[in-house]
Amino acid sequence: MLRVALFVILLLLQSATLQAVPVTDSASLQQALQQKQATIELGPGTYRGNFLITHSTTLSCQPNSVLNANHQGDALRITAADVTVRGCTIINWGADLTAMNAGIFVEQQAASVNLSNNTLKGDTFGIWIDASQGAQITHNRIEGNLNIRSQDRGNGIHLYAAQGANVAHNEVWHTRDGIYIDTSNGNRLHNNHLHHLRYGVHYMYSHHNEVSHNRTHHTRTGYALMQSKHLQVFGNQSDQDENYGILMNFITDSHIRNNRISNVQTGSNPTGAATISGAEGKALFIYNSVFNTIENNFFQGSDLGIHLTAGSEDNRISGNAFIHNRQQVKYVSNRTQEWSYAERGNYWSDYLGWDRNQNGVGDTAYEPNDAMDKLLWTYPLAKLLINSPAVETLRWIQQAFPVLRSPGVQDSYPLMAPIAQVQGVTP
Amino acid sequence: MDDQNNDEQPTVSRRGFLGAGTLAGAAGVAGIAGFGSAIMSRDAFAKAAKDAMAKATVHPGELDEYYGFWSGGHSGEVRILGLPSMRELIRIPVFNIESATGWGLTDESIRVKGDSKDVLCGDAHHPHMSMTDGHYDGKYVFINDKLNTRVARIRCDIMKCDKILTIPNVQAIHGLRVQKVPRTKYVFCNGEFRIPQPNDGRDLNDPSKYFTMYNAVDADSMEMAFQVIVDGNLDNTDADYSGRFTAATCYNSEEGTTLPETMRNERDWAVVFDIHAIEKAVKAGKYTTIGDSKVPVLDGRAKANSPFTRYIPVPKSPHGLNTSPDGKYFIANGKLSPTVTVIEIDKLPELFAGKIKERETVVAEPELGLGPLHTAFDGRGNAYTTLFIDSQICKWNVADAIKAYNGEKVNYIKQKLDVHYQPGHNHTTMGETRDADGKYLVSLCKFSKDRFLPVGPLHAENDQLIDISGEEMKLVHDGPTFAEPHDCMIIHRSKMKPLKIWKRDDPFFAETAVIAKKDGISLERDNKVVRDGKKVRVYMTSMAPNFGLTEFKVKTGDEVTVIVTNMDRIEDVTHGFAMCQHGVSMEIGPQQTSSITFTAGKPGLYWYYCHWFCHALHMEMRGRMMVEA
Repeated sequence: MLRVALFVILLLLQSATLQAVPVTDSASLQQALQQKQATIELGPGTYRGNFLITHSTTLSCQPNSVLNANHQGDALRITAADVTVRGCTIINWGADLTAMNAGIFVEQQAASVNLSNNTLKGDTFGIWIDASQGAQITHNRIEGNLNIRSQDRGNGIHLYAAQGANVAHNEVWHTRDGIYIDTSNGNRLHNNHLHHLRYGVHYMYSHHNEVSHNRTHHTRTGYALMQSKHLQVFGNQSDQDENYGILMNFITDSHIRNNRISNVQTGSNPTGAATISGAEGKALFIYNSVFNTIENNFFQGSDLGIHLTAGSEDNRISGNAFIHNRQQVKYVSNRTQEWSYAERGNYWSDYLGWDRNQNGVGDTAYEPNDAMDKLLWTYPLAKLLINSPAVETLRWIQQAFPVLRSPGVQDSYPLMAPIAQVQGVTP
Repeated sequence: MDDQNNDEQPTVSRRGFLGAGTLAGAAGVAGIAGFGSAIMSRDAFAKAAKDAMAKATVHPGELDEYYGFWSGGHSGEVRILGLPSMRELIRIPVFNIESATGWGLTDESIRVKGDSKDVLCGDAHHPHMSMTDGHYDGKYVFINDKLNTRVARIRCDIMKCDKILTIPNVQAIHGLRVQKVPRTKYVFCNGEFRIPQPNDGRDLNDPSKYFTMYNAVDADSMEMAFQVIVDGNLDNTDADYSGRFTAATCYNSEEGTTLPETMRNERDWAVVFDIHAIEKAVKAGKYTTIGDSKVPVLDGRAKANSPFTRYIPVPKSPHGLNTSPDGKYFIANGKLSPTVTVIEIDKLPELFAGKIKERETVVAEPELGLGPLHTAFDGRGNAYTTLFIDSQICKWNVADAIKAYNGEKVNYIKQKLDVHYQPGHNHTTMGETRDADGKYLVSLCKFSKDRFLPVGPLHAENDQLIDISGEEMKLVHDGPTFAEPHDCMIIHRSKMKPLKIWKRDDPFFAETAVIAKKDGISLERDNKVVRDGKKVRVYMTSMAPNFGLTEFKVKTGDEVTVIVTNMDRIEDVTHGFAMCQHGVSMEIGPQQTSSITFTAGKPGLYWYYCHWFCHALHMEMRGRMMVEA
């Protein structure tokens, strides 16, 4: 390995000295690509056209060098392994979504690309990884085009059947989805900033991935995690997203820790402004997901803290803070479950009990949803009553006469204070 | 929420939601008719909720308003439910073997099964009724068998399957719909899986040689009309209201054989067929055939540049394909895209004429939610799309979605309703015809989880009934069903004219009548044993509480056929014929003739009896078969 690295370095040095042809325009760039130069440095200026990288090279751009695809095809298409593209501004690639036009399209054989510090702005996909291995995608800024319909834009970073990718410190906005990943295992998506999008992370059938320390806001779902196993999801933030902070659908054997989800808003019409009846903003939606650890997360100021549906019993849910969600838990199930682990439950901003022995755990159990909650999901219109004296009476009756109690979530060890959020902690 | 200008949206007020005023003022709540007051006693509320459900209650002795034809999935059968009660009224065995009626055991049902008589199972997905000018005509219901690549027809006067056809040259018939206009001349059905052609052992591992076809079955003769080769694969289909176009979704434009391979493309497509152009070519003899098959085959692949097909790109792995009841739109449901694609049918002639490009036929592509699978309609301009991942139904307005596509700021989504859980197909009352009446929506949920008492690891599905007659969808009933309704169709009872008793000249048992005639037997009168070498035909009538023969003799190893004619003329007096120790069981309805063939077992005495309860002396309705050595 070391020998190979040395050889590469020697090769790089050699080519740098031998082929110091300055690249200043499209023709000389095409020529440099055809001559398979080992390093290509673009000087300031606009490089128009579609550029195909068929050999291992480093394409680095000086400030104010712009690759402009004239609204046709892919700006850059990479078909060789070990290509680096650095510091480039890439604009105006094609608008043909069916043809999957991209700012940078990385073909399957192009393993170990390194795309860093690029600025991309265009109509369709920013970066498309097409089943290639070991892509490094870092510190790029990808902007979509607000003048076209959301569904006609591409995704900022699109990982199809990718493995070993490291997608970090990118910022994506105004594209369709921020990061889209499907049938892609063993990747890391971390420290990305995704905002003003349809979905921040759109995640389908991809296992053994890490999603950490990303930040989403002003999306129509922060993190849509679907049909996947063995995920590490930690340290992420979602604020002012709509519909869902994190959606978990058929997620198993995963860890959801130290995420901070706040102010998830009721879904509104994608083209209008009105909120949609029945589209409450859910900090966390759990459906058909079991054997997960959901720990030390922070769910605040949303329509719903956690919406958990039946068939999602075997999760460890503890140490989370539920703070001033309109409804802390919506539990649609006929079976009771306990949300605490090793005598530590969760923090509930509306817990009214006392801690007389000062052990940090409330003396009486907390039941975020009681018979009233069951009434609410059976008869949604009853929410109009929620603060009426009648409901208070009902709640009192159900405490006094437990026969009215319905199965639901119980936290036998409610925490008196939220666990401090420690950012940067790995699971 | 758009992706811009939303930073200044108020959030502080949301945190103050606990104020009753904020709640009552929240959008979507204020508009609920009859619940305008924020202060409402629990009693008043409970009454209102109860009233909503009472509308959908059918009391003892009352009749349902609608018939629902439900597919039974891989149980292989079709069921009829009454709506809104969701009571199961009857089961119609089709691709399965059924003990009570003897389906798959009787000679008549074996004749119906034809070349697939030895196939004992099936996977029934899409039951759809024949139409005249876009209205249900109450004659037939057609259903596919994905598992064994068959299409069956159910006669709606007797509610029995009368034809089963194995579709040649393709594998796994999935989507199925009927021609709506001018009448159901064709049943259209999709071959889902791509296979080598002919599939005789060649090109087994060369997927580039595989293809599949779109199929038309002649609905009257139940024989093949034509097949059209397509690119990709075929998922669901529907027909238009002009009679010229049909469309089908494709989720595998990649033509891959593994799961990841089928998921790559951003857009797959809806393929549109020009039925008139296809008919013309078939009539002119401009077709080929495959292998030994005589069925006309046309090449509709893109590279053939044919007048038969156009491929309209739609996102992503689309599933359901539904025609709006006003006849204006095909709607392709995105599955892996949160959008559905609205294709304007009036633009298709221009597309086929080469005057516009494929995507120019798309007039809206609303974002609805995660996992849109199927769309139903209420006849008032609204559409109802199942969202598989969200476990919701999304109600949206088609005209508003078109305005939104054209850049207007329009709220095209009207409501989302939780369903339990993960809905697949949904259907509205009369919703696939011009007569969509917008009263009820059925959501066929793939999982029930804990909605019903636990009955072991295998769970019932959950078919939920939703009242859509008002502005808001209201869930009014949970209906557990056994494996596994994929689809249903719902028809007003006024359109149905089923028979109460059989007609003696019914073609269902005409072939049996011919055999009797050759034997010189009057089925209605004679009780007689006819021996024909090792074959023995035992003719008898039945009239409660007697069989016409109370004993008969055969020899061990004889091939015995028992032909029973039920001479009762009283509604609901169905007889059974069941022979102990011989696996013989069948239904004989009033005025029906049924026959069943078996091999007489070891020498000994065997009782036969009536097992469909018929009379106070039902237990006494029996006889003896004496098997001699």
